[in-house]
Amino acid sequence: MIRVHALTKHYADLRRGKLVALGGISFQAAPGQIYGLLGPNGAGKTTALRIISTVLRASGGSATINGYDVTTQADQVRRQIGFMSANTAVYDRMTAWEMVEYFGRLHGIPEAPLHQRMEELFQRLQMNDIRDLLGAKMSTGMRQKVSIARAIVHDPPVLIFDEATAGLDVLVARALLNTVAELRDHGKCILFSTHIMREAEKLCDRLAIIHRGRILAEGPLEQLRAEHGERDLEELFFQLISRHDEQHPEPAGGEASP
Amino acid sequence: MARMNWANVRLIFQREFRDQLRDRRTLFMIFVLPILLYPLLGMLFFQMAQFRREQLTKVLVIGARDLENLPPLFEKDRFAASLFSEPGKTQLLQVEFSEQGTANGNVDPRPTARNAVQIGLFDVALVFPADFAERIAVHAGEENMPRPEAIYTTATDKSQIAYARVSEILRRWTEQIVARKLEERGMPPTAAKPFELAPADVAQERGHVGAAAWSKILPVLLLVWALTGAFYPAIDLCAGEKERGTLETLLSSPAHRSEIVVGKLATIMLFSASTAVLNLVSIGVTGWLLLAPLAKASPAFGPPPPLAAVWLAIALLPVAALFSALSLALAAFARSTKEGQYYLMPLLLVTMPLAVLSIAPGVELTLGNSLIPITGIVLLLRAMLEGNYWQAFHFAAPVAAVTLAACLLAIRWAVEQFNSESVLFRESERLDMGLWLRHLMRDRQPTPTVAGAVFCGIIILVIRFFMSFTLPAPSDFNGFMVSALVSQLVVILTPALLMTIMFTSSPRQTLLLRWPKFGAIPAAVLLAVALHPVVMLLQSLVAQLYPLSSEATEMMQRMFQGAPGVWPLILVLGLAPAICEELAFRGFILSGFRHLGHKGRAVAYSALFFGVSHAILQQSIVATLVGVVIGLVAVQSGSLLPGMIYHAIHNSLAVAASHLPEYCQKYPALENWVNLDSSLCLYKMPIVLVGGFVALAVLAWFYLQPSPQSPEEQLEDAIRRGLRTEE
Repeated sequence: MIRVHALTKHYADLRRGKLVALGGISFQAAPGQIYGLLGPNGAGKTTALRIISTVLRASGGSATINGYDVTTQADQVRRQIGFMSANTAVYDRMTAWEMVEYFGRLHGIPEAPLHQRMEELFQRLQMNDIRDLLGAKMSTGMRQKVSIARAIVHDPPVLIFDEATAGLDVLVARALLNTVAELRDHGKCILFSTHIMREAEKLCDRLAIIHRGRILAEGPLEQLRAEHGERDLEELFFQLISRHDEQHPEPAGGEASP
Repeated sequence: MARMNWANVRLIFQREFRDQLRDRRTLFMIFVLPILLYPLLGMLFFQMAQFRREQLTKVLVIGARDLENLPPLFEKDRFAASLFSEPGKTQLLQVEFSEQGTANGNVDPRPTARNAVQIGLFDVALVFPADFAERIAVHAGEENMPRPEAIYTTATDKSQIAYARVSEILRRWTEQIVARKLEERGMPPTAAKPFELAPADVAQERGHVGAAAWSKILPVLLLVWALTGAFYPAIDLCAGEKERGTLETLLSSPAHRSEIVVGKLATIMLFSASTAVLNLVSIGVTGWLLLAPLAKASPAFGPPPPLAAVWLAIALLPVAALFSALSLALAAFARSTKEGQYYLMPLLLVTMPLAVLSIAPGVELTLGNSLIPITGIVLLLRAMLEGNYWQAFHFAAPVAAVTLAACLLAIRWAVEQFNSESVLFRESERLDMGLWLRHLMRDRQPTPTVAGAVFCGIIILVIRFFMSFTLPAPSDFNGFMVSALVSQLVVILTPALLMTIMFTSSPRQTLLLRWPKFGAIPAAVLLAVALHPVVMLLQSLVAQLYPLSSEATEMMQRMFQGAPGVWPLILVLGLAPAICEELAFRGFILSGFRHLGHKGRAVAYSALFFGVSHAILQQSIVATLVGVVIGLVAVQSGSLLPGMIYHAIHNSLAVAASHLPEYCQKYPALENWVNLDSSLCLYKMPIVLVGGFVALAVLAWFYLQPSPQSPEEQLEDAIRRGLRTEE
């Protein structure tokens, strides 16, 4: 279970002054659910997910994973989550097997059950042919598979995917989305950020449309469609963002508040 | 800090170690380069030496072609073979004679000779006076002694070599002249050389042949290679991970930041130590093979002492730990491997002078030197290699303590870097001072940023540095008063006040301009009085460790002698610094450092700037410690006033202490409290001890007071509480 309440994050930016990356977002994601964060580039999705995965610290507000606070109980939170993003890469000088084993052992899994789990994962994700391949020699698709295996090797109850399909070809992206859906079916609570409408439409049980650090709309897709009288998600997304930009024009300089 | 999970540390170490072993560049730097480098350098050295020996030098000789009644200086067109240690060397000096200006002695030949050397026609010119032989023959006495001139230039090595060769020839010729004159007078040659010194080198017996040279080379090489061996893996393990995008994955894993740092540190240390060992083994073997045959001819060029390996191995661990931690912290700061490589030079520029200082003439292993990081360890190694074990044994403990402290600080810094998201997720942005200053003014917060505090501290130090060179040194008390007041107002107060106005939105909050809690002022007064005897003892100890030069002592005494009583001194040295320095160091700078989130570190950093701003090293050490005390008072009382009062009383008592002999004459009862005869402890020991205990009690009272926290300190407290709950 993910609970986010009034989460804020701001940076000091030399050019633009105080830059508000998150302006107080709140949402909840339940087990067996894919919660989508849909927003354009620079909306604050990555910042939010980095805070939730304990890599960054919030400036204000709170976020908890299964009751553990991401700031004050970061160690517990890290044991509850699997984190994967377009930015997370694989080690060039490690094989697929070594990499997944490394993270499994960092999670404290004893050797025998770890290897059993890895065998299952390598089978399920069709990774046996790249078992001994070094990261430097892997294709993008192979790297994504390794990243997924690395993120779920410890069977975490919460999974966080940040723009996980960015830069992937259609086949690899589809395989990844199928894996995410399977994980949801296994009862995982999944936070999935993307800027691709079709992915969000197809995959997410609940959605938050995020723009300039604020959530503009939130709820199940059907509810959003009914509330805004728009069937097409892309059109709905565009309307919400345009309306927000008209109401809150971006300052020319200084504070880039939402 | 959370409890360390050593299983994670081991895992991270194993991964990083394997990763580095799979990197060809690392393997080349650590294994291949040292094995090949020194044998190649050895061969090159010998070839160069041969080339250097065969280098011909040209000598212009004016006058003295035919010197009657004197031993031969020349044979045909060369210097006489009897004047060389080896007859074959006569070929190395190509002589050309000129009789210009010598026939009648009317024309001075020296301008022509100087010109010939300056334009490089000759390497050295020997100009003999026209009547040289005659004056030698009549033994003209001290005043009329003929003075042949050797004209050369230090601008070229070749001219200096020629000069050295000619000097040696003339020395031998002089000996021959003396011997002939003695013979003419029927005296034996030993009349001018009553004895001959018989050298007996015990280094031969103790296996320390060549130790003097190796003791200077090996420690410095150990440092250079330990640093190089640490730096490149550190860059790959930190900046490289950032660049490749794997760091974020690791940071979201259960491994704690301190476990990541220690795992990486252990890897870097291993590579640092391996690089240093392989380089030293390679240079040792090369040196042993190449120089062992020369040892009999010249002990200065013997092979390395056999025990060198043992001492170097013992020193290797702390050296590798220190440089690995420094490299790790710097590498964590770098955004990319390319940027990381730029940091090697500043690191070398800071550490190498400390290493090279130890081989400067006259620098020996003393308690003072042993307390300087890096210098101490190099001096200790030098003493061990030279076989001065007793001396080394005396200072091993302070060197080990300082090195350990430096290591721990460096590791702490590295952990800090890994905890700082502004460091880990720094985006590429070009350095633009104008943009940064505009940002400081535009986005003003109630109190300054950490960068603002550092900037203010550096500005104060830079202005002080330049003013110390541009203003004339005061020669009397009036000059000293003006100089001290200008220094306080211009160097310290003005930058701090200007920055407070420009870069903060609340000068009152920044400079802690509020009334303190009840009791803080009397406590500060009591603390200053109680600590005074302890501080005086500390000052004496520091002065014994690092004695002030006699010139500086004399200058200070001269300045203070003209003081018209104690009050002007108290005004200049007590009151002015209490206001100006407190506003700058405990006001602006300390307020900025409090955004670090650690009260203790904020106090320590502001005290460090306060200490360094004192021009004299001896003052700086004591001032840093006093700065910690005043910083604690300021932070805990939430006001600048108690610190100012403490500072004023502290300085005034120090001024008054210099007049104690006069006060003792006036008030003889004072003599029960003071030791006027002791150079170490001005106050009697019971007074120092009582003062120390009272001061500790007052400091504990300050420490236990609830104090206002910065938002960052509140957050860090919340995290610590969270960690405690987890444990």
